[in-house]
Amino acid sequence: MKAMIRNSAYLSLIYLFFYIPIIVLIVYSFNNTTFSLVWHGFTWKWYVDLFSDSDLWIATWHSFFLGIASATGATFLGMLTAVSLYRYRFAGRNFLNGLIFILILSPEIVTGAALLILFTFFHLPLGFLSLLLAHICFCIPFVIVTTYSRLISFDKNIFEAAKDLGASDFIIMLRIILPLLSPALFASWLLSFTLSLDDVIISYFVSGPEFQILPLQIFSMVRSGIKPEINALCSVLFCVTVTLVVLAQLALRKKT
Amino acid sequence: MKTDNHFKSFSLSIIWVWMFLFALLPFCLVIIASFMSHNENSLITLPATLTNYQHLNNSIYIRIFEKSFVIAGISTLLCLIIGYPFAYIIARMQSRWKSFLLLLVIIPFWTSSLIRSYALIAIIKAKGILNSILIALGIIDQPLAILFTNYAVLIGLIYNLLPFMILPIMTNVERLDQRLIDAARDLGANRFTTFRKIIIPLTMPGIIAGSILVFLPAMTIFYIPDILGGAKSIMLGNLIQNQFLISQNWPMGSAFSAVLTLILVTLILVHVWVTRGNKKREWL
Amino acid sequence: MKFFLRFTFLLLLLVSFATHAADKVLNVYAWTGEVPDFVVHMFEKETGIKVNFSTYDNNEIMYAKIRTTKNPGYDVIMPSSYFVDRMARQNLLEKLDKSKLPNWKNINPNFLNPAYDPKSEYSSPYIWGITGIFYNDKYYKAGELKKWADLWDERFYNKLMLLDDTREVFSMVLMRLGYPANDRNPEHIREAYLKLKELLKNVKVFSTGTSVSIMIDEDATVGMAWNGDTYRASRENKNIHFTFPEEGFVIWVDNFAIPKTAPHKEAAYQFLNFVLRADIAKEVAVAANFPTTNLAGFNLLPDSIRNDQTIYPSKEIMSHAQFQTDLGDDTLALYEKYWEELKMSG
Repeated sequence: MKAMIRNSAYLSLIYLFFYIPIIVLIVYSFNNTTFSLVWHGFTWKWYVDLFSDSDLWIATWHSFFLGIASATGATFLGMLTAVSLYRYRFAGRNFLNGLIFILILSPEIVTGAALLILFTFFHLPLGFLSLLLAHICFCIPFVIVTTYSRLISFDKNIFEAAKDLGASDFIIMLRIILPLLSPALFASWLLSFTLSLDDVIISYFVSGPEFQILPLQIFSMVRSGIKPEINALCSVLFCVTVTLVVLAQLALRKKT
Repeated sequence: MKTDNHFKSFSLSIIWVWMFLFALLPFCLVIIASFMSHNENSLITLPATLTNYQHLNNSIYIRIFEKSFVIAGISTLLCLIIGYPFAYIIARMQSRWKSFLLLLVIIPFWTSSLIRSYALIAIIKAKGILNSILIALGIIDQPLAILFTNYAVLIGLIYNLLPFMILPIMTNVERLDQRLIDAARDLGANRFTTFRKIIIPLTMPGIIAGSILVFLPAMTIFYIPDILGGAKSIMLGNLIQNQFLISQNWPMGSAFSAVLTLILVTLILVHVWVTRGNKKREWL
Repeated sequence: MKFFLRFTFLLLLLVSFATHAADKVLNVYAWTGEVPDFVVHMFEKETGIKVNFSTYDNNEIMYAKIRTTKNPGYDVIMPSSYFVDRMARQNLLEKLDKSKLPNWKNINPNFLNPAYDPKSEYSSPYIWGITGIFYNDKYYKAGELKKWADLWDERFYNKLMLLDDTREVFSMVLMRLGYPANDRNPEHIREAYLKLKELLKNVKVFSTGTSVSIMIDEDATVGMAWNGDTYRASRENKNIHFTFPEEGFVIWVDNFAIPKTAPHKEAAYQFLNFVLRADIAKEVAVAANFPTTNLAGFNLLPDSIRNDQTIYPSKEIMSHAQFQTDLGDDTLALYEKYWEELKMSG
C-alpha cells in the first residue's frame, strides 16, 4: 500500500513536469499580447485568427500525414533490421551496426545537407517524397535501438523449438516475434511519429515549395511574433489528441 | 529449407538497399566532402586537401567539444535518474491503463518543441511564472536568474529528451521476470541488493539504449542552448551549423561531423572492449 | 500492424493523385514575417494564381538550397542586401526585365542602385532596417546612449542584448573603432575582436529571433536591435526607445529576386509588380511594422507612422547608414573564427 502511494506520487510529479509547460502554453493562447511572454489579459483573438487561417491547417494535416507515413515506414524497416541483426549472422553485420550508430550520431544539419545532395544527384524533386524518405531515414535508428533492446531479452530456445516444429522464418516472424515485440513496436512508432512531427532542420533542406509542413511554419511564425496564434493551434491539437486517446481507452475498456 | 532463405533474403535485401542509399551514401558524401575545398563558386570542389582536418587542431574546438560532452553527459545522467523509476513503475503495472499512461507521456511531445521551449521561458524568466509565484509567497526577494544560464539549458534538454530515455527502458523492464526478483528476496537479499545485482544488470540493454538516444542528440542540438541559454557559448551543434551556413564551409562542417563520429565510435569501442567479459555485451 | 500498412498505402495513393501540378502556380520563398498573409490572398484573388508560400529565417539556408539543387522550384526569393551581391555574381539570379514591372517607379530612389546591386538589375527592394541601439527609459536616459562606444560602459554589466549575428556584431565594433562596416582588413578585424572581448562581460543574451519579447519583458534593458523590432516592442512597452549611433550604423534591405531556375517566371513578375503597388506597400508597412522602400506607399501612410523617427528617420540621419556588401569567404571565415573564440572565452 505504501509502495502504491509512493509510486503514484512519483508518477504524478513527473507527469506534472511534462504537463505544466503545456498548461502554460494553453493559458498563453488567450494572452492579450503579440510578443510579450508575460500575462496581459484575456482574449479570444488568436483563436479567431487561427480558424480563418487555412494555410496553417493544411500544413498541420500535411505534417500529421507525413508523420504517420514516416513512422510506419520507419517502424517496418527498423523492425526488419533489428530482427535480422538479432537472428542472422551475415556478412557485414558489424558494419551495419556501425552505420546505424552513425545515423543517430550525425548532426541534423549534416544529414540534411547530405540528403539534399543525394536527392539532387538522383534528380528527385523536392516535395512529399523527399520529405518522407528523409524522415524515415532519421527515424529508423531510433526504431532499431528500441526494438533491439527488447529482442535481447528473448529466450532463443523459442526459435529453436519453432524451427524444430517446421516453421519457416516468415511464420516465426509473424507468429512469434511480432506479438512479443509489439510493445516495442508501439513505442518505436510513437517515437518516430514524435520525431517526424517536430523535425525542422532536415525538413528545411529537403522540403519543396508545394508540400508545406507545420514545424517550418511554426518556426517562421515565431519569428514574426504571431506566436499566440501558434499557441492556439497547439492547444487545439493537444486537446483533440488527448480526447481521442481518452475515447480510445474508454472504447477498449468496454471490449474487455 | 528454401522458404527460410526467402524471408531472410527478402529482409536482408530491403535492409541493405535502404542502408546503402540512405546511410552509407550520405556518410560517404560527408567523408569525401571533408577532404574537399570550397570557393566562391562551389560549395564543395576539388582539390582534395587535408586543411580541414589540420584546422581542427585548435584548442578551442576541444573546449567546445568538452563543454558539449559535459552538458550532454549531465543531461543523460539526470534523465536516467528521473526517467528510470518512472519507466520502471509504469512497465510493472498490471492494469490496462498502461498504454494510456504511456501515450499520456508522449502526447505533450507532439506539440512543437520550440513552442514548449517558449513555454519554459515563460515559466523561468525573471518576470515569469515561477518567479512571480515565489516572490508572491515571500520565499525570495529577487527573481531567480535561471534563464540564459547553463541551468536553463539543462532544464530544456531534460524536458525535451526524457521520453527518449523512458520508452526504451520501459520496453525492457516489461521483460523482467518477477520470479527472479522473488528468488533473490527468498535468498535473503534486501531491496537495494536486489536492485543492484538483479534488476540493473537485466535492464541494462534498456538503460544503454535510452542513454544513447538521449546523449547523442544532446551533443548536437543547438536551438535549446540558443533560446534558453542566451547563445552565450558555442556548443557542437552551433559550431557545425555555423560552418555550413555562415562560413559556407561545407567541407569543414563535414570534417567536424566525421571527427565527432570517430570520437564517439572510439568511446563505444573502448566500452565494449572493457566489458568484453560481460555476456550482455552482445548488445553492441 | 497490417491495418496500418494498408491504410498508409491507400493514403499514399490518394496523395499522389492530389498533388498534380496546377496550371497557374507560384512558389514564393520569403523571409518569415515579412509578407503578411493578406497580401498573398489578395494576389491569389486578383490573378487567380495559386501561391505556395514557404519561409526561411536566415539567408544562408535559402542560399544553400538554391545553390545545391538544380531545380529547387522556387519562383520568387527574398535575399538580403549582400546575398543579392553574392548570388548575382554566381549567376543564380535572373536579370529583371523592368518592362514587366510597371510599378517600379514607386520605389524610393534612395534604394535604387545600391552598393550591393549597382544597377538594380537583380533585385526589387521591399523592406529595410537599421541596426542601432535600443534602451528602456525606465532605467536609462536618452542622453546616456548616443554611441556604440557607450555600450562598453561598466554599469551595463550583464545587461546587454546583442544580435546573435556575426556580421552585425563585427560591423558594430568596426564602426566603433572608426572603420567601415564592410572592412575586410584582417588587422582591423583582429582589433575589433579584441575590443569585442572587453564587451563580453556586459552581455546578458545574444538573440535575433526573440529580441522583441526580450525587450518588452525587460529581460534585457539595453543593447543592439533592429529599428523595426524596436518599433514593434515600443508598441507594447512604451519605455522602449531607439537611437541611431553616432559612429554609424548598418542598413540592410530585403529584396525580391527571381532565381534563374524559376519555373513560373511570368507569374513571378506579376507578383513582384503586385507588391510594388502603392496601396499594397502601404498595407504591408502598416501590418508588418517594418519600414518600406516604396515611396508611393510611404506617402500613403498615416502621419503617426510616417513621422516616427525610429522607422523613418530623417535624411540627415540616413546619410550615416552603410549598406552591407558581400565580404567573401575568407573574411567570413575569419569572422567565424573570432566569433567562436569570443563565445568560448566566457
